[in-house]
Amino acid sequence: MKCSAMFGILLAVIVLPAITWAQEPKRSEAEFVTDHPTVGDPLPDLVVYDPNGQEVKTSDLRGHYTVLTFGCLT
Amino acid sequence: MYRDYGPKNVKFFFVYKTLAHPELTGNYVQPFTLDERLAHARQAEKQLGATIPWLVDDMDNQLKHALGDRPNSEFIIDPQGVITHKRAWSHPAQVRNDLEQLVGPVDHVTKEEDIVLQLELPLKASAARGIAPRLKRPRMQAIVVKPAIDFQGLPFFAKLRAEAGNDLLKSGAGQLYLGFHLDPFHDAHWNNLTKPLSYQIEVPEGVEIEKLVAEASQVTSVSDADPREFLLDVHAWPEGKTIHLTVKYFACVGEKSCYAVRQEYDLILRHDRDAGGARGEGAGYWDPEEFATRMLASDKDGDGKLNEKEVQGLVRPHFKDFDTDQDSLLDAEELTAVSDWLNHHHQPGAPREAD
Repeated sequence: MKCSAMFGILLAVIVLPAITWAQEPKRSEAEFVTDHPTVGDPLPDLVVYDPNGQEVKTSDLRGHYTVLTFGCLT
Repeated sequence: MYRDYGPKNVKFFFVYKTLAHPELTGNYVQPFTLDERLAHARQAEKQLGATIPWLVDDMDNQLKHALGDRPNSEFIIDPQGVITHKRAWSHPAQVRNDLEQLVGPVDHVTKEEDIVLQLELPLKASAARGIAPRLKRPRMQAIVVKPAIDFQGLPFFAKLRAEAGNDLLKSGAGQLYLGFHLDPFHDAHWNNLTKPLSYQIEVPEGVEIEKLVAEASQVTSVSDADPREFLLDVHAWPEGKTIHLTVKYFACVGEKSCYAVRQEYDLILRHDRDAGGARGEGAGYWDPEEFATRMLASDKDGDGKLNEKEVQGLVRPHFKDFDTDQDSLLDAEELTAVSDWLNHHHQPGAPREAD
C-alpha cells in the first residue's frame, strides 16, 4: 500500500466518511480556537442550503443549542 | 449523541463543504455547481447512514471560510446564536461533555455498539477504470480553475483539475498538471471509438507553455472512465496572467446518449485552498494484507478475529456475506476478501510499482 495513512483512510472512508484530512499546512488547534469567530462571538450570518436546495440562514439556527460538524464525501 | 440530545432540543447538523480529498474513494471530484454539491450532500447522507441532517455550504465556500477553513471542525452554538465551543477536529466524546454541561446529562447514553448504520457504498462508474495509464504528480498543489458554466448547456461530464509544482507556484516556471476527470455523479464514460479528448490553451503575452495544443492517447477499450491527464512544462507564467483553455471530448451516458462536448476554463496561477489535496494514481487502493492487519486492530477480545460488534462502518452491514465459513467471525483471510471487494467497488486501480 502506497498510502502510509491507510488506517486514516480506513476510518475516514469506511467508518466515518465525514472525517477528512487537513488540505494545507495547518495552524495549531490553539491558534484555531483563538481565531475569530471564537467562543463568545456570534455565528456569522450566512446562507447555506439543505440537500434539496432550500436556503437556510445560519441565523435560523437560533432558539436552541446547535452542534455543527464540517464534513464531506472524501 | 444525536439520539441522546435530540430529545433535549439540541440540533445537530453536518455541514457539507468542498472535498478535502478528491479522487479518493468513489473517485469524486469537486463539483462546479450548487446542484452538483447538493447531490454530493445527498450521497453523503446515504454513505454515512446517519440521521443527522446536512447543511450545504454555498459554492463560494463562505461558511467554511468564515469558520476557519478546517475539513472536520466542530462548533456548538447557543440559543442566541453565539459560539460556545469550537475545535479544529470533531471530537464526539468532548462534545458529549460539553452538552452535559450546557443542557445536563441524559438518562441513557447510546453506545457505539447500539448503533447499526445503514451505510451505502460510494458511487461506482458503469464504465471500467484502471485502463488508461495514470500520471504521477508528486508535490503539486491545485490552482484556481474557473469553468465557463452554461446552465442551459451540457454538464461538465469531465472536470478539469489543474495543479502546479512548487517551482511553478513560486517562480512562474515549472510543471503544470491538467487532469480531466469524469464526474461520477454524471456517470459518463469516454467514447473511445472516436477522437480522443483534446485541449487548446490560449495564453496572454508573457506566458510561455509547451504543448499549447494536445490530444490524449487513444485508449483501445471501447470505453472507460479513467482521467485524461497531461503534464506541461511552463517556462513563464507571470503573476496575474490568466490562461484560457478549451477542451473537446466525446462522452456517453449509458449506451445511446453520446455527446460532443466543448467546454472552456480560465486558469489562474494561485493555490486554490478550496480544491483539496488529491493523491492521484492508486489513491484509495486497499492493500489486502495491510487492510486485514489494520482491521484486526479492532480485535478487542484478542482472539485474532473480528466478531460482528468489533467490525465498524461499511463492512458491518455485509458481515454475514464476508463470513464465508459461517463461524460468526471474520479472520484474516476473510478480511482480505473485504479489501478485494472494496477495491472492486471503488475502482482505484492498483498503484504501480515505483519507477
